[in-house]
This record gives sequence, C-alpha cells and structure tokens, in this order.
Amino acid sequence: MAVRAQFENSNEVGVFSCLTNAYAIVAVGASENFYSVFESELQDVIPICHATIAGTRIVGRLIVGNRKGLLVPTTTTDQELQHLRNTLPAEVKIQRIEERLSALGNVICCNDHVAIVHPDLERETEEIIADVLGVEVFRQTVADNVLTGSYMALSNQGGIVHPKTSIRDQDELSSLLQVPLVAGSVNRGSPVVGAGMVVNDWLAITGLDTTATELSVVESVFRLGEMAPGGAGGAAVNKDSIVESFY
Amino acid sequence: MKTTWKDIAPVPTHQEFLDIVLSRTQRQLPTQIRAGFKISRIRFYTRKVKYTQETFGEKFQHILDGFPRLQDIHPFKDLMNTLYDADHFRIALGQVSTAKHLIETVSRDYVRLIKYAQSLFQCKQLKRAALGRMATITRRLKDPLVYLEQVRQHLGRLPSIDPNTRTLLICGYPNVGKSSFLRNITRADVDVQPYAFTTKSLFVGHFDYKYLRFQAIDTPGILDHPLEEMNTIEMQSITAVAHLRSAILYFMDLSEQCGYSVGDQIKLFHSIKPLFANKIVFIVVNKIDVRRPEDLEPEYQEQLQEILKAEDVELLQASCTTTEGVSAVKNAACDKLLAERVSQKLKSGSSAATPGSRLGDVLSRIHVAQPMGGVRETFIPEGVKDLKKYDKNDPNRRRLERDIEEENGGAGVYNFDMQRDYTLGNEEWNHDKIPEVWKGKNIYDFVDPDIESKLAALEEEEEKLEADGYYESDESVEDVEDADNRLKADLIREKRVLLRNEAKMRKSLKNRAAIPRSAKAKKLSEMTRGLDSAGYDNGAAGSRARAANPPRGRTTIREPTADPDAMDVDDNPHKALARAKSRARSTPATDRRHDGVTTFSNRDKAERMAKLGQKKMNRMARAGEADRHTTASLAKHLFSGKRGMGKTDRR
Repeated sequence: MAVRAQFENSNEVGVFSCLTNAYAIVAVGASENFYSVFESELQDVIPICHATIAGTRIVGRLIVGNRKGLLVPTTTTDQELQHLRNTLPAEVKIQRIEERLSALGNVICCNDHVAIVHPDLERETEEIIADVLGVEVFRQTVADNVLTGSYMALSNQGGIVHPKTSIRDQDELSSLLQVPLVAGSVNRGSPVVGAGMVVNDWLAITGLDTTATELSVVESVFRLGEMAPGGAGGAAVNKDSIVESFY
Repeated sequence: MKTTWKDIAPVPTHQEFLDIVLSRTQRQLPTQIRAGFKISRIRFYTRKVKYTQETFGEKFQHILDGFPRLQDIHPFKDLMNTLYDADHFRIALGQVSTAKHLIETVSRDYVRLIKYAQSLFQCKQLKRAALGRMATITRRLKDPLVYLEQVRQHLGRLPSIDPNTRTLLICGYPNVGKSSFLRNITRADVDVQPYAFTTKSLFVGHFDYKYLRFQAIDTPGILDHPLEEMNTIEMQSITAVAHLRSAILYFMDLSEQCGYSVGDQIKLFHSIKPLFANKIVFIVVNKIDVRRPEDLEPEYQEQLQEILKAEDVELLQASCTTTEGVSAVKNAACDKLLAERVSQKLKSGSSAATPGSRLGDVLSRIHVAQPMGGVRETFIPEGVKDLKKYDKNDPNRRRLERDIEEENGGAGVYNFDMQRDYTLGNEEWNHDKIPEVWKGKNIYDFVDPDIESKLAALEEEEEKLEADGYYESDESVEDVEDADNRLKADLIREKRVLLRNEAKMRKSLKNRAAIPRSAKAKKLSEMTRGLDSAGYDNGAAGSRARAANPPRGRTTIREPTADPDAMDVDDNPHKALARAKSRARSTPATDRRHDGVTTFSNRDKAERMAKLGQKKMNRMARAGEADRHTTASLAKHLFSGKRGMGKTDRR
C-alpha cells in the first residue's frame, strides 16, 4: 500500500515523520491531517506517536529507528525522551546518543537487519547502532553522497536510492543489504528519496507530488499492495521501450 | 530539422505582387509637393524609389526564406526532386533572387540620377522610370511565382514524415493490399479501392506498440521497370524506400488478384533489393484468406525460399479482409525494428556503463539490483491483514484524530492529548498532574526516595508540639515606643514620596522645549523675592536692575519737581502745548524700514532692490504680488476700429 500525503504543504514526508515496523513517529503540526493519514493506515496496528525532537518538527531527519530500537540525537530534551519512552512499546529500546552528526535520520539508513551509515560517524555511535537497533552496520555512500539516510529509502523488502546511482553502486549496495534496489525519485523527480517518503514492510507514504509512475516504482520495489508477493500486479516493464523513448 | 512545411507564406502572382508593393509605396510615402518648393525638397522622390526597392527586396527575401533549401532537408531532397523537379525549383528561386538584385541595381542608379535632377518634372519622370523598370523586372517573374505557389500548396499537403522515428514502410506492387494494411493497423483514413494506383502519394499513419509511437508509411505501388521509366508516383515510393531508415514490409499477393503474377512480384523484389541495404526487410504475404504460401506452385515456392535464405528476410502472413495475422505482422516488424534500434543505440553509446552519459542514466534507472543471497525476513504484524481499508464515506469508519479535531473546533483551536496513548500500565497514570519536567529540571532528579518516612517524622513532631501546647501562648503585644516609631517612619516615608513626586512634576517638560535657566526671562519681582527669602538685602540689586531696563513709553508717574508743594506752573510753553495736543497715532518705537541696515549705502541698495522688485508688478498693472486678476480677453476686432454695419450687437 502506498499513500500520498503532505505535511503542511510540504511534500517531504520523511522529514516530518519516521515509520518502522513497530511504531511510527509523526511531527506535531498545526492540524491533525498528517497524523490522521498515518492513523487511517496504522491505527490499532502499531503505536503512532506525536513527537518533537529538540523542539523542532523535523523528527524524521533527527531520529532513526527500526523494529527493535530508536536512536535520538543529543539535542533531544529529557521531556521529549520521556514522552517517547511513555508512548512507544517497552520492547523498543530508546537511546540518546552523543554524536556530532546529530541529524541521525540523514546519516543513517536502516531496516531491521542492516544499516548503511555516513562514513564519518564515530566508532562508538556505530557500536550503539549495532546494539540498539540490532543490525549490521556498513559505512557507505549512495551515489557519492555521504548522507545515506537522505538519499535512500529502505525496508526489509526493497530499497530506493538516489536516481543518479550507477548500476555498479546499486549492485554493491544491494549485495550489502540483501534486498532489491532501484534508482528512483519521489515527489515529481526529487532525488532525496529518504526525506521524501517513509516506508516499512507493508506501507509507504510519499509526498503528494509523487507521480503515478514514481508510486508504481515504489510499490513494486517495496512489494506493497498489488505488488506484494501474491499480489495481482508485477507486469515486467519493457526495457527496450524505455531505452528507445528516453535515449 | 523541419519535416513539415505548412507555414510557408502564400506566394502572390506577379500582378498582385506589383499591386502590393506599389500601393504600399503610395500609402506610406504620400506625395506632398507644391509649386515653388526648393529643389532639395523635391528630391524626396529618392525616398520613394528607395522605399519601393526595399519593399520589393523584403518580399522577395521572404519568399526565398520561406521555401526549404534542398541541401538542408536530406531525406526529403529526393522526394522533392521527384515531386517538383529540383532543377526547376532551384531555377525558380534563383530567378526570384536575381530579380531582387536587379531591382537593387535599378534603385541605386535612379537614386543617383535623381540627385542631379534640376526640376520637379525631371525628378518625377525619373521616379516613374525607376518604378517602371522595377515593375518590368517583376513582371518577368510571372512563371516562377506561379510555380512557387503551386509548390507551396503541395508542400503544405505533404504528410509529416519524421525521418528519425520508428518507421514501418509498406511497399509492393499496386493493388496488393498495402493501403488496407495501413488502414488496419493505424487510424489513417486511406482510400482503398480495387484498382491499381489508388494511392498516388505517400500516406502516413501512426500507431502505438509497447508504449511507443510508430509511424507506418503507405507508398504508391511500384511496377517492375527500370528506374528511368518510372513515373512520379512510383518514384515517390522508390525515394521513400531508399532514404528512410525503416523496417520495410514488402507486400506480396500470392492469389494474383492484383493482376500481377507471383513471378513478377518476386522479380520486383530482386530489382529493388539494392535499396534495402542495411534495412530490416519482411516479405508480407497478404490475402492469405484466398491463397496461402503453402499452396504455391513449387517453382515459386522455391524462389521464395531462396529469397528468405539468401537475404536476411522474414516471411510473414496476413489477411487484411479477415484481419488474420495483421497484428502478428505488425508486432513482428515492430519488435525486430525496436531490437535493432536499441542494439544500435547501445552500441553507439559505448559509454553506457559510465554514470554521466545519458544512456547510462537511463539504464541505471531501469536497473533493478537483485541481491545474490536469499530474501530478508519481513515483520508484518498480523493486524495489517485484517485491517479494514479506511473509507472516508463509511459511517462506521475508524475515528481518527482529525475527526476529534473537527468536533472540538478544528485546527488551531483543538489541542490534541499527547498523553492519551501512554502505555504506563495504568490508564489513570496517563494524566498525572505532576509534570515530569518543571522549569527545565527533571523532577525525577529531585525525588527523595525516603520522602514518605521523612514526612511521617515531621508530622509526628508537629503533633507532639501541638500536644505540648507550644502554639497556645499569645505574646503578640506591641509596646508604645515601637508604635510611635512606626508612625514617624510612615510620615517620613510619605513626605519623601511626596517630595519625589513634586520634583518629578517639576522636571517633566510636558511637551515644552527645554530652555536653559540662564536664557529664561525672570521677573524682577521674582529676583527680589528670591533674595528676600534667602535673607539678602535686595535694594541695591533691584534698583540697578530697574535702571538698566527703563520702562518703554510714557512714564506713569509725574516728574518729581524740586518742591513737592509748589503749584503746577507751565514753565515750558512748547512742552505744555505738545502735551495738550492729543496724538493722532502712536509712533512705533522702532522704524522697521531702517532696522537691520547698518549703513546708508546699504539702505540705498535695499531701496533699489525693492524698486526693482516692484517693477514687474507695475508693468503688469498688478496691485501687488498676490494680484492674479485676469481681465476678460476679447479678440482685437471686438474692441478696436470702426464699427461696420450690424456689428454692434456682437460686441
């Protein structure tokens, strides 16, 4: 299932929210419209938490998490941390980490098994990531961008990387992550796929500007909705036609 | 590159041409001349000549620019040659160009001549001659202009063939079913008739296959004879086959309903074979509802197989009447064409692997990187599967935060409950009154684990004190001295406040300018009072101040006489007289005319200036500077001269 949404006229859904298989975190906005998009898809399935981090709404860029844990930056206040602890299930380990690159969502991209992180991340942080999130950690870049979290959207079933990622890089990343990858965009050609959408194993939420083509790529690579294993979709795209018409 | 020429401007005939140009000259440069004009003024005829020449030049250039140049339109060059005869076309355009140059020369010559003309008549004659010669030159263009107009009209009706796109080209003998095939696969409304040469020119149809737009070109039928003997209609086919990069569908009719034997058709294939070099060729057997290739005589069968073997040619079958195999033919041709084009592109884009290249970009975006190993485990909660899809219009839909918001006053009014979803183990704890963080301090940091026991101890002590009667005694008696002191202190405080307020009032400017004390005028009385209160003798200071500032005007007291008891005697008669006379008018203490001027010379100068300033007012008969009076203005004849008959009442 892939849904389009907008946070107060911004298409950068991944900036204002964070979605995992065990919980969702949504920024506090002026109205409840954005929250309700999550609610309509996830209510009573996983907890959805209103939160701010360091008083800001860009929660999706500041925190990173998966089914097992959640990492928040050093700027998070005690109150916010306490709120997260109170709301999220007890199984989810929450850890505040002292890291110079404090926008954790930008520098870390993870699913429930593996994380791709910024090459300059501290050694200790790397260990914390491995412990709290229970993942293997790799220092990598995506299409020569160090902000792996911004330029990559990842779930346990697939991933989208920056549209200019070369085939070789895609293959390399795919073999690290053990999930299929495609180069793609969201929000009418925006290359910041990590910030433009959020995804877990059964739901993707993208910006309202996302085209039908982009959405179909998202659905097929993350195996959502019709494209899910056993779903009705999955018609192979014709490579020849694309080469012929775009080159 | 341009492939359609629908927007060429119409070419006028020579007569229209002349009308346009000459009438424009007439309109834009009207003749305005009178007898007695100077010769330099008459020479505006040069402008007429020049203007006419410019108009001619502009029009001719427009024609020349409008038509395509044959060398620029590569694949269409031969088609144009076939249709319009390239030489003829080139000559026609050349004539127009020559005419343009000739007219320029004529204009140059006559402009020069007009310069030396001596009279109006000469100028006019020269102009006439110049325009006449230009008209003659244009008149000679009669045929080229007519021809160009015809070419223009025909060009505009040519189908828009894109030479670079994916093209299927349908050719073959007349009447073998080429046009009906085009009708079948595209929406092109091509005329299909049961006689040869129904199609007399190229027709284009478009269709989609695999999300791509293809064009199919229907060509007129070709007969098997040497190239030189072919007519224009056939030549169009030949040029199309020769010049368009396309997949060629050579149509054959084995039933021979078209009137040409299978042998002839095979022969034609062989004779136009050289044109198929580097192209994908299919032999399409049409009308299989009548006769299939399998039913063919053995000798033809053999010839056909030979072709298929020798060349890289594929045999396809279709019937346009029953539409059997039509789409198969289309698909086969398109697939092969597409594969060919793509492989060529991939080959030519040798840098396909490099990420910067365009092809690399395209390829990298359609690439799905598959991991080598197995699939990652997913964690989809059970609840997702039986989650009912949210429907906005369902009355029993799930209640969302947005619904609650709407009920409570909408966005901006409603505040959501952050603590609602806390999972603390007890619902009541969610809305605990004590905050977790208070004034930037985490309350938990200050929680004393022994608080309960300490509180109990305190309460016990309190009870004990109470029991002992500690709070019973009442010793709150104030002594008199203290009360007195407090009263005085209160008075002092009040006084101080009053003083402060007064000082503030004094000092406040209340919208007045701050004037230094030294500059302030002070009354004498104030000074004396001040001195008095300070305990000084004010007599000397007062009298000195009075002497320094004598009062203006007449004294109000009598002059002291020597003897106060003496009688009033008029001792000075003049003075008495003067006093007795009442004054008509008080004279000012100062003369403002002479104030401010220091010397006589300055005063003279000022007077002179004043007179000068007066001068204009005097001249205009003004009472002063502010006099703006305007008298009624009358035409001169209305107030001067003798009156004629019947003019009285007009005044």
